[in-house]
Amino acid sequence: MSLDPFFEPRATHGEETIAAVATPPGRGGIGVVRLSGPLAIEIAQTMCRRLLQPRHATLARICNRAGDLVDQGIVLTFPAGASFTGEPVAEIQGHGGPMVMRNIMQAALELGARMARPGEFSERAFLNGRMDLAQAEAVADLIASGSQAAARGALRSLTGEFSTLVLSIGRSLLAIRVRVEAGIDFPEEPLLAEETTAQVGELVSLRSELAELLGKTRQGVRLGQGATIAIVGPPNVGKSSLLNLLSGEDNAIVSAIPGTTRDLLKVDLELRGLPIRVIDTAGLRDTSDVVEGEGIRRALAMLPTADLVLAIEDLVAASGEDKLDPKWLEGCSSILRVGNKLDLAPARHADINISVHTGEGMERLRDSILERLDFEPDGSTFTARARHVEALARSDVHLKQAIELLETRFGAEFVAEELRLAHECLGEIVGRVSADGLLGEIFSNFCIGK
Amino acid sequence: MQHPERFDVIVVGGGHAGAEAAHAAARMGAKTLLLTQSVETIGQMSCNPALGGIGKSHLIREIDALDGIMGRCGDLAGIHFRTLNGSKGPAVRATRAQADRSLYRQAVRRTLEAAPNLRIFQQSVVDLCVEHERVIGVVTQMGLIFSAPAVVLTTGTFLGGKIHIGGATHSGGRAGDPPSIALAERLRALPFRVGRLKTGTPPRIDGRTVDYSVMERQPGDSPRPVLSFMSTPAVHPKQRDCFITHTNASTHDLIREALPRSPLYSGQIEGRGPRYCPSIEDKIVRFAGKDSHQVFVEPEGLDTEELYPNGISTSLPFDVQLALVHSIRGFEQAHITRPGYAIEYDFFDPRDLQRTLETNALGGLYFAGQINGTTGYEEAAAQGLLAGINAALKIQGKPEWVPRRDEAYLGVLVDDLVSNGTNEPYRMFTSRAEYRLRLREDNADLRLTPTGRELGVVGGHRWDSYRAKRERIDALHHRLSNTSFAASSTQAEQLAMLTGSTFSRDQQVIALLRRPEVKAEHLLAVLDDIDAQSLEQVEIEIKYQGYIERQDVEIDRIRAHEAIRLPGDLDYGSLHGLSNELKEKLSQVRPSTLAYAARIPGMTPAALSLLLVHTRKRAMASGA
Repeated sequence: MSLDPFFEPRATHGEETIAAVATPPGRGGIGVVRLSGPLAIEIAQTMCRRLLQPRHATLARICNRAGDLVDQGIVLTFPAGASFTGEPVAEIQGHGGPMVMRNIMQAALELGARMARPGEFSERAFLNGRMDLAQAEAVADLIASGSQAAARGALRSLTGEFSTLVLSIGRSLLAIRVRVEAGIDFPEEPLLAEETTAQVGELVSLRSELAELLGKTRQGVRLGQGATIAIVGPPNVGKSSLLNLLSGEDNAIVSAIPGTTRDLLKVDLELRGLPIRVIDTAGLRDTSDVVEGEGIRRALAMLPTADLVLAIEDLVAASGEDKLDPKWLEGCSSILRVGNKLDLAPARHADINISVHTGEGMERLRDSILERLDFEPDGSTFTARARHVEALARSDVHLKQAIELLETRFGAEFVAEELRLAHECLGEIVGRVSADGLLGEIFSNFCIGK
Repeated sequence: MQHPERFDVIVVGGGHAGAEAAHAAARMGAKTLLLTQSVETIGQMSCNPALGGIGKSHLIREIDALDGIMGRCGDLAGIHFRTLNGSKGPAVRATRAQADRSLYRQAVRRTLEAAPNLRIFQQSVVDLCVEHERVIGVVTQMGLIFSAPAVVLTTGTFLGGKIHIGGATHSGGRAGDPPSIALAERLRALPFRVGRLKTGTPPRIDGRTVDYSVMERQPGDSPRPVLSFMSTPAVHPKQRDCFITHTNASTHDLIREALPRSPLYSGQIEGRGPRYCPSIEDKIVRFAGKDSHQVFVEPEGLDTEELYPNGISTSLPFDVQLALVHSIRGFEQAHITRPGYAIEYDFFDPRDLQRTLETNALGGLYFAGQINGTTGYEEAAAQGLLAGINAALKIQGKPEWVPRRDEAYLGVLVDDLVSNGTNEPYRMFTSRAEYRLRLREDNADLRLTPTGRELGVVGGHRWDSYRAKRERIDALHHRLSNTSFAASSTQAEQLAMLTGSTFSRDQQVIALLRRPEVKAEHLLAVLDDIDAQSLEQVEIEIKYQGYIERQDVEIDRIRAHEAIRLPGDLDYGSLHGLSNELKEKLSQVRPSTLAYAARIPGMTPAALSLLLVHTRKRAMASGA
């Protein structure tokens, strides 16, 4: 490994311990939560209430901080220098269900770990000299795609409003901070007289806005934790039949929700154990029918939020009429072209050819779907949206603290500190606000004149 | 002619930056020369006669903790002292003093004259002596050459100064000072970026023509605070009151009518003024809904009747100034002694400086004060101190010293300037400091004096006094940690009565201080033989402890990020995964370290990770 003069390997990440679910959600019966950082081994030992021998598999009962049993599983630890990140690492292998994984994660976070960012395990491995240059390229892409997946996930969970809502809460918080900070820096300006009651009121209503957003986002995380697949194609190519086949054969329908519009049918199912939401869309074609046009508009709005689009082609139709006009698929992240009606016509140059009538090609379709979804080995896709939830929740804790400080008439500087931290948490999602930005707001809102 | 004496450090300019720079370099044992246009104006307060205020007094305390002179001189000249934010916590409490201009000047001059290793010489500097891209001395007006390996320029607003009163303009430095054209031209020839700023002053008023009886009286605080850790109120001169009056609807009407004649609104002034200190015409235009603004009536000194009406700075024509002053309650008969004016001036973009304030263009040349785009005596003095220390360190062959953002407001100031530059006169505010809770007035000495001692800038007298204070605090901390009140003791009962809180079990006294309702004053009432000052310090430390510890985690991360340099030629546009907005900002700012990138508005943790990985990747690819 080459040594790089710019980097002190252990000093590059502020000594935080990170945690993430390291297996794709639902796939298989075993799920792994991985921890890396100075506290990793200590946290694992606390969770299974015993000392762990390095690099030995230990069967243990896994508990949370309160001592409640959350799972039973195998725990492995690796000391610094002997792990894939180069830091102390612990792996907790539990039962793979989403609920169990969530509980194990929660227990690790309670004990001082923080949720890993997309690609962060690989990032640390890289920064600690555990990868070569060729692998480094992949790490950068991993981080980039991880944050894009997070953005896509956030977009999906709130049909595009997520960032707008976080930004709007950020703006309200900025408005409150402006007054608190102005009160501190410009005490001689009379208009900035103490207004504790009003501030408490505003913070309380800000918290309820945040709670609402948090609720929606949590739901988004729960429902959308797997992947979203959209089925598109011209009318009558067998889209709905494919949906029925996928859900019927796999026989694991979690819920069948009639579309939020009458045109989008959403079905949650598990594909080889992986939770997936499949959305059936209206047939895409140019139309002058108002109702049909609205259905198509809604389908198009949803497409960019899907992790994978199955574009269905009709193998029977005359060449040229079978394919979807590429204009419909602009902005889609990943497209799998599927030729249907293989029982009636010869295969063509699609990615996969199937027959929903006979079931031919369905196994290969499932393989391709899982391959295309390409869940990241360190579980970043899984944690991406969960991190948003966590950041929002942390922001809320600081807001709550600020209200308590205001109510007990504790010093304004403490209130200001809690509000700063609450704002920084929102900034992790939508970008930070600088001190100069804050001052600019103060000066444009108040006539500061001495 | 070459002056026969050789110096280590030459400081050009005898204002607040120059005085601190010269004194600091001399304290560190460097043979120092202070060159000034006029010995009479050393330590001159050229704007309002006040020191301190929120954020600014924090700087004075830090200068003082490093044995600088502003706090001590301020105490010798202060005629009105107040504690601002007294009702808020200690982190944001600040001291403000009105000063007698001439007493302050005298105090600074005497302090400089008393300093060993420091010489003063009166003569304008017209040129720099340069050899191999290093400065080696200066040339004065009469052709005298002074040689030194380090030169600190603290020449204020002398560059391209232009004074505006109504439509009339003339070139000049501060009112009364001649601008030094030759040196300015020399500097302009060097590769420094230049920006233009604006500031202003109000008309001064003869106190004998003012009716104080209709104004709100604002006496100084009692007990009276001090600016320096080394002072007591006993050193203060006689005290004076300040007054507050207000502008009114007719003031605003006549200003509105006169706006077409204002150089600010006719387009005559191009420089950007401070947002936090707008002229009265600015206030009336930008905050049209307000029908009254405060005017702080500040005495200029003990032996003068002149007043500084703070809050009505203006560059309107003189006839409008007269009318607007007369429209204000208590000023109906006021006589204006000096007209108000706006001054436009050039400054050197501080992004062309290193954090030591040494210029990138010329080795050994340092810039400090208003020349770097700051405003305020305190900001100037702070830079002077830092430049003086680093100039001395450099000639002694020692490593530079620049405090970090979490160590001192000095660090916030220099980091903001050097990283971001400024497009308005830069002023310190506590909200600029992320770690405000630890950067307090009360602990500036605890934060900085030991470092100052190591650097050699803190003298024996202050060091002894610091050590005694530190020992008292540590001893008290130890005592309170080893003292417990039994739940049934009379002290516990007394405390319960005083604070309204309950004591269900035996308690360490130090733990009691953690409760918000238990204050130092309560412990003073129930414990004997306690030093109130030390107790206050222990209380503050205990009350802030939780927050400080939480910040420690954040600071550790930032320190790690500070060690990571970002290549200057990184092509941000090509970095996959960054938003376009961030790509643009990064390309523009070109942050030098990851910590600096983290402070860019709009930055996210994921984007930082990307920068880190790309930087590392490049370093690997180049075979490092």
